[in-house]
Amino acid sequence: MAMHKDDNKEYHIQVAPGEVGRYVFLPGDPGRCEPIARFFDEPKLVAQNREYETWTGYLDGEMVSVTSTGIGCPSAAIAMEELVKVGSDTFVRVGTSGSMQERIKPGDVGIIHGAIRDEGTTSHYLPIEFPAVADVDITRALATGARAVGKTVHVGISQSKDSFYGQHEPGRMPVASRLEDRWTAWMAGGAICSEMEAAALFIVASTLGVRAGGIMMILGHPDQSPMTPDELEAGSVENLLPAAISGMRELIRQDREAASA
Amino acid sequence: MSDLQHHLNIQRGDVGRYVLLPGDPGRCEPIAALFDNPRHVATNREYVTYTGTLEGVPVSVVSTGIGCPSTAIAVEELIKTGADTFIRVGTSGSIQTDTPSGHLAIVTAAIRDEGTTSHYLPIEFPAIAHPQIVDALSSAAKTMGAETLSGVSQSKDSFYGEVEPDRMPMASRLKDRWLAWRRGGAICSEMEASALFILSSMYGARAGGVMHMMGVGPDLDPRREKLLSTAVESLRVLIRQDKEDVQWP
Repeated sequence: MAMHKDDNKEYHIQVAPGEVGRYVFLPGDPGRCEPIARFFDEPKLVAQNREYETWTGYLDGEMVSVTSTGIGCPSAAIAMEELVKVGSDTFVRVGTSGSMQERIKPGDVGIIHGAIRDEGTTSHYLPIEFPAVADVDITRALATGARAVGKTVHVGISQSKDSFYGQHEPGRMPVASRLEDRWTAWMAGGAICSEMEAAALFIVASTLGVRAGGIMMILGHPDQSPMTPDELEAGSVENLLPAAISGMRELIRQDREAASA
Repeated sequence: MSDLQHHLNIQRGDVGRYVLLPGDPGRCEPIAALFDNPRHVATNREYVTYTGTLEGVPVSVVSTGIGCPSTAIAVEELIKTGADTFIRVGTSGSIQTDTPSGHLAIVTAAIRDEGTTSHYLPIEFPAIAHPQIVDALSSAAKTMGAETLSGVSQSKDSFYGEVEPDRMPMASRLKDRWLAWRRGGAICSEMEASALFILSSMYGARAGGVMHMMGVGPDLDPRREKLLSTAVESLRVLIRQDKEDVQWP
């Protein structure tokens, strides 16, 4: 494509074919890439551009990468589009999310198998009626992997929103009553957590014929009341990473078993 | 106090926790014939109910009629009478161009191309099958030797809008959207799954769907034997998992 800065590197992520694995973790925060890559064998930094940072290494002999998406569906869709162009086909979103049910506590793990398309990006791909749905094999592997390291796991639907402060401080928005009504509806529908990228990953995955899933650390409370110091400690994202790595290893194991069957 | 339901004409105790949901009332009896000890429970409007047992546990089959409006009523009244696990069973069109007729679709989620579910939740909310049911159907299909695809279904409100779009005033919109569903990777088109999935999300029930797909070439399962045996086998899988208190996955 003419807009490339370098002939074979993708425009935004600055990654070339061969530099990333088939399996990719997608955190939002670039600062979370290195801590995830430390779980890999032979981790190396591949690229840094804008909010996109990429590391590649190995898990159980399989080439695995981590690329940050930045916050929100617009930048997440770009990251995934470009990663698919350089050969990746299996994506696991890893990050933090707000609890949407009283029974779901800070420090629990949410495995998201679908997302509410409460954002603007995915309507550029598919009409709004189309479901943002995760790959069932990834969902199963992540839930199995997280339970194997002792996590309390909830499998369910996330709200993918475009406005962080619209969720956390809805009362000060001009559309306050609509935000509050819809939040109540998502909870009544059984949604488990709120984050800002999953809908884009799932809809782009359906469109490109690749697989995506998500594993989220749960933080906060559905009524936005503050967390206690213990809850803050339990909800640290470092506590999520062993579960995410365990889930990815389980997925690699499932894929190998399916390939040899 | 009687909790006799207005449309299904059933009450608590009449149906099992596990329910197969065909659209066609005429398909209830052949499905019930695959249960142990089947008995006819009720017939009212398009709703026919049979209950029997599998693995010693009560199971039912209830027809929904065509479309999400009548399906939502059936699911509401079944949840009120104690059901919590639903598998839609029926026929669907294929959306991809190379699907052989008679392959089974295991539905993972549904396009909300209908009017009913917006009375429940805003349109952005996904209509999603329960992954435990998806897995149970996949394993049952393997046992029954059925060929399957798993993926997204279009749940539409207009049958003739799909099969004869050109004669509709909305022809170009119908055709554009059909192409979008295809390019989004949707695999089959039917008329009830999204209502079943949205209501199940709200009520914390488990739901899924298995569909015979009409596609290219001679029909591999013209008598729907693999469809029905897969649906019934998937209930056996779920009943065994529930007896062992298996937490999915």
